[in-house]
Amino acid sequence: MKRQIPLIIVMSLGFLFAVHTFVPHKYSVDFYDWWVSWSKAISPFAVVLGVMSLFMVHGTKISRKLPNWQYSLVTIAALIFTSIVGFIWGTQEGSPFMWLFKNVQMPMSATMFSLLAFYIASAAYKAFRARSLEATVLLAAAIIVMLGQVPLGHMISKWIPATSQWILNVPNLAAKRGIMTGVGLGMTATSLKIILGIERTYLGGGD
Amino acid sequence: MKLNYQKTGIFLVLMVFSFLILPVTSFAAIDESEYIVENLKVTDIPDDDGTGLVISWKPLPKEKRIIEYRVYRGVSADTLFYIGKIDVNVKTGVPGDEVFFYDTAYNYFLDITSRGKMKTEKGQPETGPIYRGYPRDLNITGPQLKNYRILGVIPDKDYFFKNHKIERVKDDETSVYAGMKLRNINLYKKLNPDKEYYYSVLAVNEARRYFPYTEPVTGTPRNNSPEITKEFYPVYVKDIDRLQFEWSLASFTSDHRYHSLYMMEKKDLEDFQKYVAEQKEIELNDLAVKINSTVTPLEKKLENPAELIYFRYSGFPYTPCKTVSIQLKDGRIVSEKPKEHGILGKEIDVDIPFDENKLEDYYFVYSLFDWAGYETFSESKPLDVISSEQLPIIPPFTVSDRDNDKGDYNYIQWGKPVVYLTNSTYQNESRSKLLVNYDIMTNREYKRIKNVYFKVYDSSGNLIKTINEYYQDKRIKIKLPDGSDPEAPLTFEMTIKANKEIDEDYIFTQQLIFNEQSKSLKPGKLFLGNEDIYENDYYVYRNNYTNEEFRLSKKIAGTMRELDDNIRFSNVHYKGVREFDAEKKLLLVSPAFSARDDFDDRTQSVGMNLYSSEIDRTLEKYKEKLAEYKTMKDTVKTDEERVEAQKQIDDYRDAIDDYMQHPVQKKYLSITSEKERLKFLYKTRNFAANSFEYKIVKSDGKGHFTETPVYTRTNAEPIETNNYNFSLEGFGTNHFFPQPNWFKANMVPALIAALTFGLLVFIMVGKAKKGHDLFIRPIAGIEEIDNAIGRATEMGKPILFVPGLSGISDVATLAGLSILGRVAKKAAEYDTKILVPVRAPIVLPIAQEVVKEAHYEAGRPDTYDRNSVFFITTAQFAFVAGVNGIMIREKTATNFYMGMFWAEALIMAETGSTTGAIQIAGTDAITQIPFFITTCDYTLIGEELYAASAYLAKEPLMLGTLKAQDYLKLLIMLFILGGTVLSTFHLTFLINAFPEK
Repeated sequence: MKRQIPLIIVMSLGFLFAVHTFVPHKYSVDFYDWWVSWSKAISPFAVVLGVMSLFMVHGTKISRKLPNWQYSLVTIAALIFTSIVGFIWGTQEGSPFMWLFKNVQMPMSATMFSLLAFYIASAAYKAFRARSLEATVLLAAAIIVMLGQVPLGHMISKWIPATSQWILNVPNLAAKRGIMTGVGLGMTATSLKIILGIERTYLGGGD
Repeated sequence: MKLNYQKTGIFLVLMVFSFLILPVTSFAAIDESEYIVENLKVTDIPDDDGTGLVISWKPLPKEKRIIEYRVYRGVSADTLFYIGKIDVNVKTGVPGDEVFFYDTAYNYFLDITSRGKMKTEKGQPETGPIYRGYPRDLNITGPQLKNYRILGVIPDKDYFFKNHKIERVKDDETSVYAGMKLRNINLYKKLNPDKEYYYSVLAVNEARRYFPYTEPVTGTPRNNSPEITKEFYPVYVKDIDRLQFEWSLASFTSDHRYHSLYMMEKKDLEDFQKYVAEQKEIELNDLAVKINSTVTPLEKKLENPAELIYFRYSGFPYTPCKTVSIQLKDGRIVSEKPKEHGILGKEIDVDIPFDENKLEDYYFVYSLFDWAGYETFSESKPLDVISSEQLPIIPPFTVSDRDNDKGDYNYIQWGKPVVYLTNSTYQNESRSKLLVNYDIMTNREYKRIKNVYFKVYDSSGNLIKTINEYYQDKRIKIKLPDGSDPEAPLTFEMTIKANKEIDEDYIFTQQLIFNEQSKSLKPGKLFLGNEDIYENDYYVYRNNYTNEEFRLSKKIAGTMRELDDNIRFSNVHYKGVREFDAEKKLLLVSPAFSARDDFDDRTQSVGMNLYSSEIDRTLEKYKEKLAEYKTMKDTVKTDEERVEAQKQIDDYRDAIDDYMQHPVQKKYLSITSEKERLKFLYKTRNFAANSFEYKIVKSDGKGHFTETPVYTRTNAEPIETNNYNFSLEGFGTNHFFPQPNWFKANMVPALIAALTFGLLVFIMVGKAKKGHDLFIRPIAGIEEIDNAIGRATEMGKPILFVPGLSGISDVATLAGLSILGRVAKKAAEYDTKILVPVRAPIVLPIAQEVVKEAHYEAGRPDTYDRNSVFFITTAQFAFVAGVNGIMIREKTATNFYMGMFWAEALIMAETGSTTGAIQIAGTDAITQIPFFITTCDYTLIGEELYAASAYLAKEPLMLGTLKAQDYLKLLIMLFILGGTVLSTFHLTFLINAFPEK
């Protein structure tokens, strides 16, 4: 039953939402909005689960003094401290919570994000090594597209920006659309498998 | 990095420093008196309805780090409630020397989200006077209602079905109210004219410290006459004996009661100006008397020499009309019916001679009357005399329900399609190639444009190009003849072929003219024959069933051929609120409402009431009055008194007859159940409130316009009537109610594709079940999954599986979780640890269940560790930092990234690459696929992610869907190929069969 009830819910609602796509009637729209509001209501409860998981994972590490348990201590301390600050002084602009957000979390996130620039350079190096014919074509296309985006390309030849645009608009767009068509079909197939109860992995266990 | 106690200590000290010391510095002691707002002023807003005040003050210096100013209002200096704030950018401060806060129009007063009890503002004295917003406690807020104009907004259903009947007796008169709980009504307020209000302001700095308030300052909103109408055009169309007027709409209309037209002769102009000046003087004197009661009120001495020829109710909150035409009858201006003028207090029945030999002598004025009785006149203008040939020609129009919607739009269409040029750009340095953009405006009647033909002529009139746009991509390319001047104008002749026949002489001409500023050829005027299409606009007017005046729905460009007219779907009742019942926690509103107001024909108006007893009581009152006047008629002595009594008898008899005979009322009385009666009223009002009749005006904005009659359905399909709309006069013929649709017709191709896919799935699943060998293309990434898991087992290192960063509603996450199930089962079989960090909290329990089930299926429930599937954070880059840390610390041997990824994809994959892990990724994020390809050993591209689960399962059901997917893809490819080939031969029926969106 633990598996059948969720399956019935998924199948029936999956079918109804599929029908909603084709039915513009107010009843259909209201029904959809009603469910969407429910999903919004469920999300905060999921956060509680997440926080519990965090406590369990890191609590176990601390209590068992597993390797690098000190990091877990920092995580738990930061979590508790930030929560307390938020609960006491609120989360509006100017509160200590926002101070922490702006001066601790945002710079840290920005640091991680800025690493991306170096990783892109590294990935580009890997991608553009002309080891095969395909890689050479890729390298040539990349050089043209990059030059086409900067004034230097135009200065070298008027054909570079035009070719760059052609590469982006024709072969690149064609490949993207091909992938998107496949993705669309894949999504539809997965959704259909779920609605029809063929795919049940997401339900987990417990008969 | 290996941590020890010393390093941990340093970490903690740094944390304390970061989290405690630095924020505390923001709360350091400061002199509060320097933070009190200065120069607080409250002034009246001009040209308004006496309900607006502007509060201004001098902003504090930028260095004070203020983030907001909070404004408080009250009717006495000892109690002021928070009403709003002005946010300030803490870095830039307030630009300028003053901050302004406008307390005007209807804005939020009270609703269910208001705080429960009265509470002093943060950092302010407990004894007041500065309090947070108005509380829900009606003992406190209830008495405040009389200090404002309170508008209650009540959802229709709540008004009809969640009211509480409340009776109040005052001076032996019983009044019945509908009591509404605060959860069923939202209150909005306006200030009361001539009432004194107190205001105070306080500043809040970036540490959210509330500084002391400024001493309250008073202000009184004053009623002013409406603003002067800027544009007014009187026109006389001589050959058809018609006066036409057009005016610009005022920016502030909430106070307007009537708009009127006056006519005078040239000789009266001077007297009229004196009259206008006296009116202004009286208005100023009224204001002076209100401020200082010792000022002597001015008496009106002059009479308006201009004759009132037309007036109408302005009808706020809808946009009023901006045109009117008056048809002369036998050389006279005659009103259709006498109308009661609420301000002048008399019945206006116009019958004025109009001498067409004295046209140059006539002057006209447009006026706006507000609810206080002040009148503002436009500039007086003489007539512009024209002939009907100078009026634009308006094509016939139709009104219908819009297709494929939930019943919130009416559809209006007129005329034939329009094609016009929008822009052009030179394509080469020699400017011999030109890319010209064009657009097409059409409507449902001409929904399929088959061809657009362009003929391009040079400045000498030579034809240089003919183009047939069989597929309209909204751009054409033109090569100018060798040696021609690229700056010389080009003339385009454009014709259209559509699903319905279009006349051969329906030809648009437009020029491309060189523009010196943009250095390119720009489109000039667009002509259809001799008509300049850009010169005229269309005004679509609509008239609601419950009301009596046409209102402007939308003004649209002359090129447009259709309008989707939005009809609000959620109906609400607007009710004034002055009374309350604190004990029962009810706000009291009138239970009376109108099902229809018709000022022209009162018999069509019908007023209703939530409580049938009140309807009975009204009828009883009428009957009593009727009996009273009958008796009076027999007892009075003079003929005059007898005539007056007879008039009253006739009026009351008519009122009773109208009331009893009105179809809505008759139907209502025929229902016995009180609940059914309310349901009938609710539905009937809903139909009436959402039913509209339409007419169109085509105008150049200067009074040269043509107006259609009201659209009447003649030969179209009949409108379905029911118990609720049958009683509405004109419903379905004049008035249109948008119908909700049960099927989106434009989704037919999608439905067919979905059904085909479903059918293919069933066929393929059936084949697979019967043992047919279904060939599936080998996918290297999927085939390597087993090897990758085996590698981790051999190395004795864990496997990392990231099921994407999006939520459970993303299909990619579901696909990722499906693969997780297969991978976790294999890992459990090999007794290899699997780590699953999760970003979306809602995915966590599902991922835990998936891994747990995999362990059970593998027969190794003992090896399942709930903590191996864990939540890190919802912050994107913090999550990446966490995952990267796991890769480095745990030295994972195999990394799987399956699901939806964004910018973090490369950071994770590159880190995994540097740790030497074998990496398999799968995503449908097109932007991230290249990064995975370069950094991972194997990548599942797009659809392969969705196929992986089926591929790994090797079950007939799964393989069947995969095969069906391939066949549908083949079908799509055939359609793409077919569409390409056919459209190359100008056969566009296949591509047109698919909607663009």
